[in-house]
Amino acid sequence: MSAKLSVDESRCTGHGRCYTVAPKLLSDDDEGFVTLRGSSMEITDDQLDDAEEAVAACPERAITLTLDN
Amino acid sequence: MTETSETEIMSASGCPVSHTDYTVQRPLFETYELLAAERERGPFLWNDSRPRPFWMITDYEHVLEALQMPDVFSNEVISALTPEHTFDLLPQYLDPPEHTAMRRVLNRWFAPAAVRRLEPLVLRRCDELIDELRPKGGCDLVSDFAIRFPTDLFLATLNLPISDGAVFLEHVENVFKSFAGRGLKQAAISTEWIRGYFDQAIAEREREPQDTETDFISRLLVSAPGGEPMQREDIITICYTAMLAGLDTTRSALGYIFHHLALDPELRHRLTARPELWPKAVEEFLRLYPLVYMDGRLVTRDIDFHGMPMRKGNIVWLGLGSANHDPEKFSDPRAFDLEREQLSHHLSFGAGPHRCLGMHLARHELVIAVTEWHKRIPDYELATTDQLYERGAQLSINRLPLRWETQDWETESQ
Repeated sequence: MSAKLSVDESRCTGHGRCYTVAPKLLSDDDEGFVTLRGSSMEITDDQLDDAEEAVAACPERAITLTLDN
Repeated sequence: MTETSETEIMSASGCPVSHTDYTVQRPLFETYELLAAERERGPFLWNDSRPRPFWMITDYEHVLEALQMPDVFSNEVISALTPEHTFDLLPQYLDPPEHTAMRRVLNRWFAPAAVRRLEPLVLRRCDELIDELRPKGGCDLVSDFAIRFPTDLFLATLNLPISDGAVFLEHVENVFKSFAGRGLKQAAISTEWIRGYFDQAIAEREREPQDTETDFISRLLVSAPGGEPMQREDIITICYTAMLAGLDTTRSALGYIFHHLALDPELRHRLTARPELWPKAVEEFLRLYPLVYMDGRLVTRDIDFHGMPMRKGNIVWLGLGSANHDPEKFSDPRAFDLEREQLSHHLSFGAGPHRCLGMHLARHELVIAVTEWHKRIPDYELATTDQLYERGAQLSINRLPLRWETQDWETESQ
């Protein structure tokens, strides 16, 4: 199984909740946006909990986690 | 179309009509009761309490959706209560793409990384203020702490002298008093003074340029958000706006938070014993006590918004406050609940492209204020049984007298 975390650039406005709840997984840039904004990353099994937390924390619903079996 | 016939049409079409005037001062917490009652009547209402009536959107889902539609709901209007531009504000009155360009310049100054750099100063100023108050055994939290703290930090953020805080504050208060549409003449005089203050700060930097990495105004002077250098008047307006946006809201948030904690010693003791919970607690307080409980918007084109026939030029009230207390989104919404799911989804800082620029600074200031305060003054109570009031338009507790035992700290061994 593989998983992918994506941040929609048009929806993300830099609330910073994702990197606050999942600091090991995500980080902020100089403008306060998550560095993953507008792109995506592979998620390993042991990162899955953090990725789910990040998705749930976003008030703009800008983050998606897709699982491929 | 006259206002009366608009209201008649709304009423006939089944849209509930509200006559509630939200600009007036009310007993503490009454505004939230009114907002909840409006939401229970329906997700959309038509309010005719003001010279220009407006749509009200009251539930979480629709408020969030509208906040994310800047092309339909324009920031040419940012308050449904006072849609006319009493004060020039930037970048609030801009829409994308101009807004996006200006935010790119400003974001950097208010991002978490910038806020972290300011932390030693925030801590020091906070501790100084609390140490000054502690031996007194009591204070009006609102005027003695909650407004002085963010005023000093605002000046520090802009690399302006903190010693200007006191005189600055007097003029700032005059502007805040006018939020509900009263005292406009005095507010205009103070606005002129404040703008003059920033104008002078700009002139000083034009004569003697400062480091654009650490000096806000110097950075704005060399920035070109739309490919053009920023106008001097716009720089003044940005400084003025940051001041309006950052000072009253922080004071107000501290007022509601300390009121809650004064009446809930159990929660206060729990948080004092486990200070690592303060950031989460502040987040839940922000949800529970929205101060900017409404964002205004101007409808840019005729649109059917979930069955509501909105017309170009209509004004819309996006109910941030009622959304925060929407039971469909947050269960038992009027309760403080640290374990709440989706606690960070509150709309107290708005959402969409105009989400509060200062949100990271605000969170940081609030967390430091409550953490440091409770290290030094863990126990206190309300020092009055009088009815307390909140200002309309943008909520703020008028005063919050607290008292505490001074021997508690005098005998401490630390």
